[in-house]
Amino acid sequence: MIRAFVQWVGFWALWAVRFFGSVMLVASRTVLHLRHLEVRELFRAIVLFGYRSLPLSFGVSALIGATVILQAGVYANRFGARQYTGWAGGYALLWEFGPLLLGLVMAARIGARNAAELALLTINGQIEGLRGISLDPFRLLVAPRVLASAIAVTALSAATFLCAILWESVAAFFTLKLPVRVFFEGFSQLLSAGDLAGGVTKSLCFGIAIALVSTVAGLRASGGARGVGQAAASAVVTSCASIFVLDYLLTPVLAGLFT
Amino acid sequence: MSLLQTFGAPAILFARCLQAIRRHGISRRAVMVQLGELGTQSTVLIFSGLAFFGGVMTTIAWAQARKYTGNITVVGPAYFELMVREFAPVIASLLAATRMGAQASAELAAMSVNEQVEALELSAADPVSELVVPRLLAGVIAVPALTIIGTVASTFSAVLMVSYAFHADGSSFMNGRYVGTGDVVCAAVKAILCGAFIPLAASYRGLQARGGASAVGHAVTTGVVDACLGCLLIDFAVAAIFLLLGV
Repeated sequence: MIRAFVQWVGFWALWAVRFFGSVMLVASRTVLHLRHLEVRELFRAIVLFGYRSLPLSFGVSALIGATVILQAGVYANRFGARQYTGWAGGYALLWEFGPLLLGLVMAARIGARNAAELALLTINGQIEGLRGISLDPFRLLVAPRVLASAIAVTALSAATFLCAILWESVAAFFTLKLPVRVFFEGFSQLLSAGDLAGGVTKSLCFGIAIALVSTVAGLRASGGARGVGQAAASAVVTSCASIFVLDYLLTPVLAGLFT
Repeated sequence: MSLLQTFGAPAILFARCLQAIRRHGISRRAVMVQLGELGTQSTVLIFSGLAFFGGVMTTIAWAQARKYTGNITVVGPAYFELMVREFAPVIASLLAATRMGAQASAELAAMSVNEQVEALELSAADPVSELVVPRLLAGVIAVPALTIIGTVASTFSAVLMVSYAFHADGSSFMNGRYVGTGDVVCAAVKAILCGAFIPLAASYRGLQARGGASAVGHAVTTGVVDACLGCLLIDFAVAAIFLLLGV
């Protein structure tokens, strides 16, 4: 019993040390290579992660906006705070729902994609091959992708928030019969640029976290085609978990910084 | 067109599953195995995810309360209703979609790339009844159960957060004054529909995979994205229908 418990604790402690160690290793190597990174790969990754995710993020934004208003509507009807709907919808969107839901969907898209690609390269020995001809895989493959994921998720978050707020006003008009003018008055008078900065900063952190975690999962892959699938699945799960943890840690810090 | 594929293909697969159940019955053993792999292994993710979510939600409620009512306990019962009705099913099914969707699509994609699915067909076994039906049933059972676990976790962390971090009466965040049968039915419908959709979408993308290991990666990406988007759409549609019905 005690032995099993000690084994369990040891297993997870080792896992945590290994995980944080490899994330830090990838992060520091990325920072070291920022000055002379492969520009072509950077643009390719931005197109793949950012531009190709635009339809998905617009779809998600419509759903976020409508869902937030459906919830705020329950609230507004119950407390009669209709003129605050713009503020409540915007606040929930910028601080919580926008970054969180965008982060989760991007973890599924960017994280799975990045991990699967890197895992394929690792398993086929192509990473070893790069090292063999004295090319640094971190400079060629990892650093551009981490930077691209950070840029792509930040840009997508701004676009998604804008789109979601427009959808919120439309949904508020149809479900609560709230005039669009009243919605935007509440939105603009009670929210400041700091709220937007908070949401975008959160998304930036999520973007970096997704890239780092999925890179670790991809480079660690072993085994055949099964290993590729497992790397993709574990990248998605670990990115989701780290997004939740980061969200919890960042909310008070950013709220102190920007308000 | 792609939306039609996202929803049409799982619907056809669902019809084929029903046919397969009628023809071949259900293997209880296979369902239990999938329940373990897809359901039980998602428990930690969903429990911790929703616990964090509950903590963050109350932090926001606290910020809002400081702005204009001054008293966080007033919004407690309404927040509990929102948690039961909207947040817990949405977040739990989204997390389940990433976890279960990635695993199911990766496994089936690896099998179809290695031609194991063709091997099943050659040995006169129906791949739908062998592979998809157990995952479908496991999803339908597991996602509602995980939603219940998630609701408990988020409520628990909300109560603890309010009581110990904000020094207010946290028990108002588990006050069921506003929670009616309609709220619970709404949450249950969402969870069951998402639980059916996630394995169907993931299995479809997995079985479609052709080629090498890169096809597996592609199948995982599209499977997870389809499952996530489908869950969001289902949640939205069910919430809208219940709001229109006035439940």
